Amino acid sequence: MLRFIGTRLAQLAVVVLVVTLLFYWMLNLLPGNPCVAAFGGAATPEQIAECEQDRNLDDPVIVQWAKWGGDVLTGDFGKSYLTGRTFGEAISNALPRTLLLLAYSQALALGAAIPLGLWSGYRQDSVGDKVVSGGAFALLSSPVFVVGLVLILVFAVKLDWFDLGGYRPISEGLVAHFKVMFLPAVTLAVGLLPIYLRLLRTDVIGTLQEDFVGTARAKGLPVHRVLLTHVLRPSSFTLLTIFGIQAAQALNGAIVVEYLFDLDGVGSLLVSWVAAREYLLVQTLVALIAAVFVTVTALVDVVYSMLDPRVRRR
Amino acid sequence: MTDPSETTTAAIKPRVPTRFLRIPIGGRFRATLVDAESRAGPRRGKINIALWLSVGWLALVLAGAVLAPWLGFLEDPNRPLAGDPELGPSWSHWFGTDQLGRDMFARSVWGSRLSLSIAGPAVGIGVVVGGVLGVTAGYFGKWIDLVVSSVVNVALALPALVFALFIVTVLGQSYVNVTIAVTVLSIPAIARIARAQALRFAAREFVTVAETMGARWPRILFRDVLPNVVPALASIAFLAMGIVIIAEGSLSFIGVSVGSPSITWGNILAAGRGRLEESPHIALTTGGVMFVTLMALNFVGDELLRRLDVREARI
Repeated sequence: MLRFIGTRLAQLAVVVLVVTLLFYWMLNLLPGNPCVAAFGGAATPEQIAECEQDRNLDDPVIVQWAKWGGDVLTGDFGKSYLTGRTFGEAISNALPRTLLLLAYSQALALGAAIPLGLWSGYRQDSVGDKVVSGGAFALLSSPVFVVGLVLILVFAVKLDWFDLGGYRPISEGLVAHFKVMFLPAVTLAVGLLPIYLRLLRTDVIGTLQEDFVGTARAKGLPVHRVLLTHVLRPSSFTLLTIFGIQAAQALNGAIVVEYLFDLDGVGSLLVSWVAAREYLLVQTLVALIAAVFVTVTALVDVVYSMLDPRVRRR
Repeated sequence: MTDPSETTTAAIKPRVPTRFLRIPIGGRFRATLVDAESRAGPRRGKINIALWLSVGWLALVLAGAVLAPWLGFLEDPNRPLAGDPELGPSWSHWFGTDQLGRDMFARSVWGSRLSLSIAGPAVGIGVVVGGVLGVTAGYFGKWIDLVVSSVVNVALALPALVFALFIVTVLGQSYVNVTIAVTVLSIPAIARIARAQALRFAAREFVTVAETMGARWPRILFRDVLPNVVPALASIAFLAMGIVIIAEGSLSFIGVSVGSPSITWGNILAAGRGRLEESPHIALTTGGVMFVTLMALNFVGDELLRRLDVREARI
């Protein structure tokens, strides 16, 4: 087990290094000086000199990248040369919002997908299953921005149940917080739910054919006990694998959702930096996001191997 | 037919064995695995109606996108005051008008033109590149497979939209660059499925026979493996098209796709977002068209996959 984790960690380190180097290097494809580009041509020579000094532009790209990596590891993420705001300030403001949004939406999606998936797998081809599967299919075809617009129109504009217009932290009261966060979380969950649901349903149908399910029923266990204790665990492996991949897909959705609901999270930050041509900040953020997601996938692998010992021997 | 498992739990069905069916591909007969269950049963007739509705809708949207400049009854999408501002849908303006009085139906059709002209080439290139990578990896295995699958797995673990944003930032917002960005996104998923299919067929007896008979690898790859992977790739193309349309839509929704005077589905919706209270029809009509189109693409893709029994498709 330890050896498996060790191998995965070593692979992880290599991948993180390669991926960040790739994104670091891509910015150097821009014609001319990245520092000049970062100011959009409106910089004083001193500002450019400061930036060049910070970015070690005299060194080869790989040395620049290594020094950048050292800075990042010691907590120096750089700053905006336009506004003087540091990367750390901007991120520490935005990150909690994005993490909460992702956590709420994953909880909603899993909370709905697990019971629905178990049930529609158990009642395969019944009317209820067809309704659930058809609904999942329709949701799968709905782009997140269309779902969000419809939800805003119905629940915020017409019914006025929820608030728009910016994030409210939990410290301002739970009700205010969820009045702002509920619709974004639902919007994002709508994209994740059908994927989880369909996978779980397929796996449940497979697991139900196993002998131990018949045995459990023959012992006289009620159906819900069989489904929850005997069927769910062996059916959840694919779900777990996909969870890692979906974490990345969820961030795609989060970018759009944050923009749609004015939440000013990490996604909005990225979009606004892109719009302001803050190349250097965009680069650091993208490289960090890449590193985080590669790590998440690796962690999912490790958890997976704990649940299913057969994986380790491959 | 009574099966002991049926008596224990009524809802559990016996696993239906897969069998070999011969279906014509490219004028020749080749063996393809088809799930026996999917070929039988009373559901077939209903499914076909939905399938043909989907195909019909896609044909309609495609025709609209291609023929938009020559359709006489279509208003000029950029002409202000084609009708009174912010009219709801009516007979003369099917999708209503926006705050400048521009005809929303015309804008929707023209939007499909740009959205599809990005998605079409992106999926085309994605299928060719992803297909070649996947088939090579799946057939040759060894280090080629190791390299391709590690790259694909890492790429799939990254949030695609972030990288599309990055690519568009570095290269600039233009038609070509947005197409490049969404193409890059579609390649890993397609390569993964092509690889899985190639692996399946590389182990089949007709490939072993060809190898034993001394056929060289290009012959085996092009005559034995590739023709069997192509139907799967064709159905994946429909699903990938949906994903790419959403990706481009997201980019233009947040204002990072092709610049402003151009009309895309995404930026119509972005404009509709600001007018949700006064004229919800702007967002709802184009959003509806987009939803139905994506649903049709997914339906055709899913149905083809089901008939061809391609696994791993949805991952």
